[in-house]
Amino acid sequence: MGYPYSHASEVSIISKHFGDPDARTLEGWKKRGGYEGLQKALQMGPEEVIELVKDSGLRGRGGAGFPTGLKWSFMPKDSKKPHYLLCNADESEPGTFKDRELLRWAPHQLIEGCAIGAYAIGAEQIYIYCRGEFFEANQVLAKAVEDAYEAGILGQDVFGSGKRIELTVHAGAGAYICGEETGLMNSLEGRRGEPRIKPPFPAAAGLFGLPTTINNVETLSAIPHIVAKGSDWYRKWGTEDSPGTKLFCVSGHVRRPGNYELPLGFPLKELINEVCGGVVDGNALKAVIPGGSSVPILSADQVEDCLLSYEGVQEAGSMLGCASVIVMDETTDVVHQVMRMSSFYAHESCGQCTPCREGTAWVTNILKKLLAGKGTEEDLTTLMELTDQMTGTTICVLSDSVAAPVQSSIKYFREDYQKLIKGGEVNG
Amino acid sequence: MKAPKFNPGWAGNIGEYELTEAEIRGEDFVGERPLEGGHPSASATYPYMLETKDPKAKLFEGAYLERFEKIVTRYPEMRAALLPTLSLAQEVRGYVSPQTMDEVAELLELSSAYVRGVATFYTMYNKSPVGKYLIQVCTNISCNLCGAEDVLRTFLEETGTELGEISGDGCFSVVEAECLAGCGFPTCVQINSKYFENVIAEDVPEILATLRNEQSTDPRKKSLKE
Ligand SMILES: Cc1cc2nc3c(=O)[nH]c(=O)nc-3n(C[C@H](O)[C@H](O)[C@H](O)COP(=O)(O)O)c2cc1C
Ligand code: SF4
Ligand code: FES
Repeated sequence: MGYPYSHASEVSIISKHFGDPDARTLEGWKKRGGYEGLQKALQMGPEEVIELVKDSGLRGRGGAGFPTGLKWSFMPKDSKKPHYLLCNADESEPGTFKDRELLRWAPHQLIEGCAIGAYAIGAEQIYIYCRGEFFEANQVLAKAVEDAYEAGILGQDVFGSGKRIELTVHAGAGAYICGEETGLMNSLEGRRGEPRIKPPFPAAAGLFGLPTTINNVETLSAIPHIVAKGSDWYRKWGTEDSPGTKLFCVSGHVRRPGNYELPLGFPLKELINEVCGGVVDGNALKAVIPGGSSVPILSADQVEDCLLSYEGVQEAGSMLGCASVIVMDETTDVVHQVMRMSSFYAHESCGQCTPCREGTAWVTNILKKLLAGKGTEEDLTTLMELTDQMTGTTICVLSDSVAAPVQSSIKYFREDYQKLIKGGEVNG
Repeated sequence: MKAPKFNPGWAGNIGEYELTEAEIRGEDFVGERPLEGGHPSASATYPYMLETKDPKAKLFEGAYLERFEKIVTRYPEMRAALLPTLSLAQEVRGYVSPQTMDEVAELLELSSAYVRGVATFYTMYNKSPVGKYLIQVCTNISCNLCGAEDVLRTFLEETGTELGEISGDGCFSVVEAECLAGCGFPTCVQINSKYFENVIAEDVPEILATLRNEQSTDPRKKSLKE
């Protein structure tokens, strides 16, 4: 159920017990069908579990949408080296606030998903890399992990199966880039959280140089349900290419912001107008960022027919990312907001690649200059060229994330930029 | 309808579940986390535990030594314990000075230069002392759209400080934060380990007054000397 509001259109699977304090306890969770998925998985072979997840069509919820079962199948099968499962709980993409709710309301769901994942890929050690700022989520998780150890759900002999699965909660220390998978690995190893050059990919050489799979909190939280109820059941919702449900984090100028669990393929317009009660103060819609701050901005026209599936949002001209829908009404100063995003990326760039380190700072400077009314038409050309050079030229895609909002805003909201150049104010 | 200041919890607060703030935040559920950290896999930092920070405290002794020793067992190499150890040091001392970094380096058998390189990469390590309450106001996009810059300005005015400085009474430091993952509850403000959500500029005086009057009645808040 949605948090903090709920809506009749929702299909509650992973968010079913949000707001129910009893569901956080081990006993309460078991009463609600918890750990049945793990027990069932232990009866199956690891290969079988991977096949099941493949069939369900579950795609990674951390942003890239990579098929989870396929990712698991990349792990070497006959290697004697230890394997790791990493859970990415470093949620820090502006506009995204779903993982924190999953951590604080359904810690056992995540532990169960992690344990199933570890069993499937042959890992004995799981690390949950929890964002450092989440002290509260961290404590809830710590308590749940302790209870799970006590009950023999984690440890040397999981549910008496003879399997060993250890789980450690590791807190970060504040750096957006540690959400990038290889940056996260470096950070967990006690290094600067700088992304690594790929290949080698994590499945070959990841954490501590050993085979590693990394998944988002939401991805792993869906696993117990898929294993317990089957892939056909999960495919009842969503589209052929984007099956299942997804938590949509809606923020900005809507009446009822919050998390809503909806089937993938849900119309964006209906999400804004029906589920979230429409734009505030009856204002007109100006723009929507459908997938967190690093995807292209959609204009109100593009929102009309946009369906919220991985392929649907792509057709509309953007990306679903982590389904963080940021809504902006007619009073919004788009250039200011783009500047706010680019200064975030300038702050968070790890500094390894020149196009990113220098580019993010320059883009921010030019945008600030424009906002101060000192810009020229030429600056827009410079912005386009600069962001072109920042795309596809760096180790990770943080650099591309700056290009997306800048280029799309110049494309669809050129007027706003031009008003600044002519010295006029945007929106009065 | 004016949104409530603390996390509204859950729609259930208007119906199914009657939750207190402590229940929503998990405090009641988690109970008292042991000072020595509990299970090694779950030993984290609990920055609220110490009422007073002591920049001269030893690294580490007593319960903190136990916690440090547990942290080290969790990884196949010592280096990986660096971030949690720095966090633990900050929990005790309030900030991570160059000297603290050197001490941590020695504990983990790493070079000082290496530890300094890592520590400066992360924003959560305070490199210099901060006020008793570190107020972090998110001004990123979702909060920004809903008036975060007004909230930040009001915090600065009401505490009479400049961005990043400590107020005259040593009580407050106000800084700008990047997205705190509470975007649906703008403006999101983190004060020490606690989130304040749906904050509007008008709420600021009341929040500050509450903090100023906050007595150390919370039984979990311990002094290092005890
Ligand atoms: C700059 C950057 C930041 C990222 N931040 C996060 C994050 O905070 N949380 C997350 O789950 N994934 C994040 N990702 C995506 C991860 O790299 C990775 O794709 C994901 O954790 C894989 O999990 P999934 O397959 O379950 O989606 C980020 C990627 C990049 C390039
Ligand atoms: S693109 Fe930016 S953040 Fe990513 S590795 Fe390069 S410098 Fe670091
Ligand atoms: S934008 Fe403020 S918490 Fe995310």
